[in-house]
Amino acid sequence: MRITTPARRELRHALVALGVTAALALTACAGTSSTAGNPAPKVDVSTTIPSDPVTLTLAYTNDPPTKALIDGFTKKHPNVTIKPQMTPFNDYIKSIKLAMSSDAAPDIAQYNPGAMNSLVPAGLILDLGPWSKAYGWNTKFPPASLEVLSSDKSAKQFGTGSLYAVPGGLSVLGVFYNKKIVKEAPKTLAEFEAAMKQAKDAGHTPLSNGALQVGGFHLWNALLNVTGDVADYRSWVYGKQGSTIENPAALKATQMLTDWAKKGYISSSASATADADALASFAKGGSAFLITGNWAASTLETEMGNDVGFFLMPTESADKPANVASGASVAYAISAKSKNPNVAAAFLDYLGSPEAAKIEFDGGFMPVDTKADLGAEGLRGEIATIFSQVAQNNGIVPFPDFASPGMIDKLTPGIQGLINDKMAPDAFLRSLQGSWDAHHGS
Amino acid sequence: MARELTSSVSPPRAVEARGGGRAAHPPARSPRRRGARGWLYVLPALAVYLGFAIWPALNTLRLSLLTWDGILPATWAGFGNYVEIFQDSALYEAILHSLVLIIFFSFIPIGVGLLMTALLMGKVRRGMTFFRVVFFLPQVLPLVAVGITWRWLYSDAGVVNQFLDLVGLGAITRAWLGDYQLALVALGLIGTWVMSGLCMMLFLTGAQKIDPSLYEAAKLDGAGSFRQFRHVTLPGVRREITVAGVITTIAALASFDLVFVTTNGGPAGQTNVPGLLVYRLAFNEGDIGGASALAVVLTVIVVAVVSAVRYFTRDES
Repeated sequence: MRITTPARRELRHALVALGVTAALALTACAGTSSTAGNPAPKVDVSTTIPSDPVTLTLAYTNDPPTKALIDGFTKKHPNVTIKPQMTPFNDYIKSIKLAMSSDAAPDIAQYNPGAMNSLVPAGLILDLGPWSKAYGWNTKFPPASLEVLSSDKSAKQFGTGSLYAVPGGLSVLGVFYNKKIVKEAPKTLAEFEAAMKQAKDAGHTPLSNGALQVGGFHLWNALLNVTGDVADYRSWVYGKQGSTIENPAALKATQMLTDWAKKGYISSSASATADADALASFAKGGSAFLITGNWAASTLETEMGNDVGFFLMPTESADKPANVASGASVAYAISAKSKNPNVAAAFLDYLGSPEAAKIEFDGGFMPVDTKADLGAEGLRGEIATIFSQVAQNNGIVPFPDFASPGMIDKLTPGIQGLINDKMAPDAFLRSLQGSWDAHHGS
Repeated sequence: MARELTSSVSPPRAVEARGGGRAAHPPARSPRRRGARGWLYVLPALAVYLGFAIWPALNTLRLSLLTWDGILPATWAGFGNYVEIFQDSALYEAILHSLVLIIFFSFIPIGVGLLMTALLMGKVRRGMTFFRVVFFLPQVLPLVAVGITWRWLYSDAGVVNQFLDLVGLGAITRAWLGDYQLALVALGLIGTWVMSGLCMMLFLTGAQKIDPSLYEAAKLDGAGSFRQFRHVTLPGVRREITVAGVITTIAALASFDLVFVTTNGGPAGQTNVPGLLVYRLAFNEGDIGGASALAVVLTVIVVAVVSAVRYFTRDES
């Protein structure tokens, strides 16, 4: 075929058209002009849900109870269909922002502090205050678990302002121990150290730790929970003006971690060990202790049977046992674009029910209804008992990486520096505070 | 415009019939026409290239001048993001680490590749394919899988340490990627393993194109294996060396996936590379502007270093 002039003209038109379409499509994708800043629509809040068929979509990441909770809820309300949309965790944070700002936003979305700090100011998720009042969520959910999910309009300071999500399962950080190596759970920090020394002298690795990922700062966090003042810690994580982590309690926890590393309780190889590898090593009997959350319990129970136990990081005195522990929650928020926010809110309310408690527990989380009778035995029963004490004492606090978006990139390498004796405790705390100041303003 | 009108009136076939083909056209038109036809063939690839390479690159440049978290309206930042990046000492450390990685990703693999080529050239016939597959394998595997495997190999009880124990070097065993001083070297050696096979393949292919008579002539002149390699093979694979240098240098400077899965920049930032910092800024801190600015800086560095590589390995003739 030869190109004639009319064809050429057509070609030119086609080219222009192509260029324009491409440009439009790409600008739409790049979309710096979002629907941000729109005021939230007015909703008639109701706790009864219609009997007509309703379909909702729910975006979540790979947390086990979500699907079971959906099934539980839709069984109770057969006219409601909830379509789950699962995205692996690493992609979830990136994609959920775009999904929530699109026109086809999911009605319910699993809450993530990293993503939500731009969705809240953009008005893309609903203030749940009216439903909280209507359903009485303040008494239904542990107050500390709601605190973390509340923030001011800029999503910079937490524990204040409006409620943006409701938990559907909690977790708790503590110490697992191998009963073949350690006869009894230590009751004080001194006993814990002595047990580690004994394990080391007997040729065992005292502590498995995955400091390549989150294991390192979980260890630091567990120590901080027992050396520090819970109110100060909360203020800092929530971003309350004037808070600082450069305080004596945090220094003490950091110093203790450094000492443990120097004494050989934490191997320098921890810096190159992933959390899953640390867990596997502990499960195989390779170490005496492992500091992680209840989410590891079902794996450990399967692998170790009755040889594994759980305790909270002990305090200095046996008379005052620990009543504070870090924990995260799997939580859900409602899109401001949802056409059925009342139905979505009914689902959130269901998360706090005794029925849901069983589902949450079976899915590897601690139930939101802390008084629910779970009838659990073994390791998970042990954890549930310890957890309910802490939860009823309102002692579940958020993880420190919550404090600012870049905090995790200070915590992880910082702990590695402490373990390798390349960073001084005060320099570590200063680096954390630097990230905090950059986000919250000093 | 007028010419277009007249042409559109006369049907194409009439033009051909009247003029009897191309020769009848004014001589200037013929190449232009062929040019237009050429563009048509290029068009699909061009559209893809513009859409998926040039446009995103320009967009990155634009984003680097904005303060944007990905959702809220962006505000103009000018060169603020760049100023901030250049004030951060983490960038200089990361660049330094990348430059060290060039030794392991580029220099050593090229050396190993040349050595293998010299050893294999024209001597081994049997099992050659097997040999090539084994050496090229690291290139075929996704770097993420390579990284995770090496993390295990390097671990406390991993194969590397088991081997050292076996040969009586038990005293130096450690978790290599967790060692403050040696993590970067350990990481670099993974790159050496990945890149050596690629270099060897490139050089062997180049060496096979060398005229055998050159070797015969060299032999007649009394050149031994080493001098044959030095004066025949080496000049013969010069272009391949340049290509290998460019590819491996880019891999070193823009490394991300391997570092992300093996050390994630640790221990204590000892293996941070610019690619990792871009990722953290964009996805952990939600600072799209800063991440874009850093990406632009990284691009400039890559282009500068690659240009230098090409300059130093240029063909004098």
